[in-house]
Amino acid sequence: MRYKWWGLAFVLPAVGFFAAFNLFPMLFGLYLSFTDYDLLNPPIWVGLDNFFNLWDDRLFRQALGNTLVFVAGATLPVWVLSLLAALVFDQAFRARDWLKAAFFLPVLPPIAVIAVLWRVLLHPNGVITSLTGGWWGITEIRWLADTALAPFSMIAVHDWAMIPFFMMIWLAGLAAIPPEFREAAAIDGAGPVRSFWHVDLPQLRSTAVLVAALSSIGAFQTFALQYVLPNDAGGPANSTMVLALLVLKYGFQYFRMGDAAAISVVMFGMILCVTLGQLWFNRRA
Amino acid sequence: MPIAKLARLVAATGVALWAGLASAQPVTVKMWMHEHPPRIAIDKAIIAEFEKANPDIKIQYDVISVADYSTKLITAFAAGSGPDLFNNTSTLVTQYFNARILAPVDYAAMGLVDEGALLAKYQGSGFDGIRFQGKLYGVPSELSNWACFANNALWQEAGLDPKKDWPKTWEALPGIAEKLTRRDANGVPVRRGFDFNWAIPGAFWYVPNTMLHQLGANMIDEAAYKATLDTPAGRQVFQYFQDWTGKLRLGGPQYTDSRTDFLAGKLAAECSFGVWGVPQMEAAKISWSVLPVPKFAGGVSDNGMDEYAFYMMVNARSPSPVQKAAWKFARFYTDHAGELFAGAGLFVPRAEVTDSAAFKANPAAPFFVAELKRAKFSPRVVGYAQVLDAILRGRDKVVQGEKVDAVVPVMNEEVNTIMNRERARAATLVK
Repeated sequence: MRYKWWGLAFVLPAVGFFAAFNLFPMLFGLYLSFTDYDLLNPPIWVGLDNFFNLWDDRLFRQALGNTLVFVAGATLPVWVLSLLAALVFDQAFRARDWLKAAFFLPVLPPIAVIAVLWRVLLHPNGVITSLTGGWWGITEIRWLADTALAPFSMIAVHDWAMIPFFMMIWLAGLAAIPPEFREAAAIDGAGPVRSFWHVDLPQLRSTAVLVAALSSIGAFQTFALQYVLPNDAGGPANSTMVLALLVLKYGFQYFRMGDAAAISVVMFGMILCVTLGQLWFNRRA
Repeated sequence: MPIAKLARLVAATGVALWAGLASAQPVTVKMWMHEHPPRIAIDKAIIAEFEKANPDIKIQYDVISVADYSTKLITAFAAGSGPDLFNNTSTLVTQYFNARILAPVDYAAMGLVDEGALLAKYQGSGFDGIRFQGKLYGVPSELSNWACFANNALWQEAGLDPKKDWPKTWEALPGIAEKLTRRDANGVPVRRGFDFNWAIPGAFWYVPNTMLHQLGANMIDEAAYKATLDTPAGRQVFQYFQDWTGKLRLGGPQYTDSRTDFLAGKLAAECSFGVWGVPQMEAAKISWSVLPVPKFAGGVSDNGMDEYAFYMMVNARSPSPVQKAAWKFARFYTDHAGELFAGAGLFVPRAEVTDSAAFKANPAAPFFVAELKRAKFSPRVVGYAQVLDAILRGRDKVVQGEKVDAVVPVMNEEVNTIMNRERARAATLVK
């Protein structure tokens, strides 16, 4: 019994910290989502009005659509390309470790730094335009100022920065597969593709779910890229406005804290559904 | 002496002692200012001088970065720890007024007889942005408007003289801008002749409003509290921006912001510097000319760019003695207008400034004073940030090539929706 109390005493600081800085803000945020609160006056209870109003909110609908496009672009290609990169770096070849380290470099700087760097590279008359448009004699491409191009520029920069990170997770998964499995497959006459499909991929199931879950959660929460990279945050014409950015705008620029909290709750629900779905899929598989 | 009497005497002495102690406590005024590096040393010197003259008042001075200023201010008010005295720009004051954060000017605490005495110090101008329902709620610490500047060297290179060739109308501007523009083989501008400031969101509050004022219109009718963008004048202005970026390819939001390029000697002319921009141009070794803002042919007003101001305001939720001390300091601070202009370029139309050597040494200063006399304040609305975003969305759509006739009515409706919602919210939330 005494031992039990000591145990509780030891975990209390961590639990207290979690309760004060995670649990309480979450619950308070949930409470705020049922209020109208302009930060300058006390919140007023409005029930579910904020949630109902969201569906009539043009800006919310646009941000939701943009977020879903970004999630698709930041999840599926990342999943496939990071796996391909891992398969390449899982092979033995000269200077592999050096190349792997170089490939991993984009993961190291904070995303805001990456955004600033790419803002320079994606100047309409900049390096990327010269590299891509030069073939067709185009000297100006509005990567960040065109409503059609800007969302894809966000996805491209995000994927460039995140693929190496997820590659490392795949590599860890590949390293955990006992070599005897591949050897047995090879003895049975399986080629590299067949061996990957029937031996490696089933063994990588948990890793696959982890990569899908982490990349989709991160993509749903994307903020810094859309805040820093375009000429104006979320622009042009809100084509890169995502839900997390809308939370900031509604809460601290429009002083509509209740609406901002309601969007956060919706985001939480979406991320929860996607994660539970992926876990269910993993168990079923 | 009966015990009851003795007890009353002890209690009275105690109360008197505490009261005496309390009155001896200095009043602390928490003051927040947005960051303007050249002003900080001057602020500190003024505070030291004030505290020396008023030992019963302490000024707790905090400087907050411009990017974080409004957010920190609002969250501080939300947490009940807002400043007693603070400054902010005229576009944002309506939010605070509506939330009853602003205390009306206390003329007695400022050592003034009445409003007339205050206005007289400022030659009557600068107060339209802080007057609500007939009362003043702040004192200007900076009054500013923009004008156009030309890079003389780039104009000469194109065989032009800004003094003679600067266009009088917006309609004539593209022709001159084209002569100054350098393009590559594909027609892409590699050096712009003139461009608007697309990078500063507030620029698209001032510039379209200025143009609309010239046409006898406005983006928002502040008195009627409704958007007036969907008018022939409104469509004309947004069509101008569409032609500028699309048909004429003279500039647009995809390029480096106009101030940066002008100071780098890569833009021949632009219209988003105030009088405070002159030292920056001198530092960049740019030979400049200051020029009036063009007008629309057939316009009804010859106003230049809309004016804006920074005001010193007092928190109505602070205790009364603190409010009085804050107003006293605000008077003391703004009486140092001459030093604030000389050291930090902050202009207010006061004799201390206009009679100063620094003012007379700045060749652009008289020009700006003349422009200010014809300038108007842009409309003030409660949900300024939301309304501005709606206008920027409309601007972006127009620049992307969507039809002006389709975009402007949507923008107008959106602005009206925001304004109506925010007014209704304000009525519900403020008790």
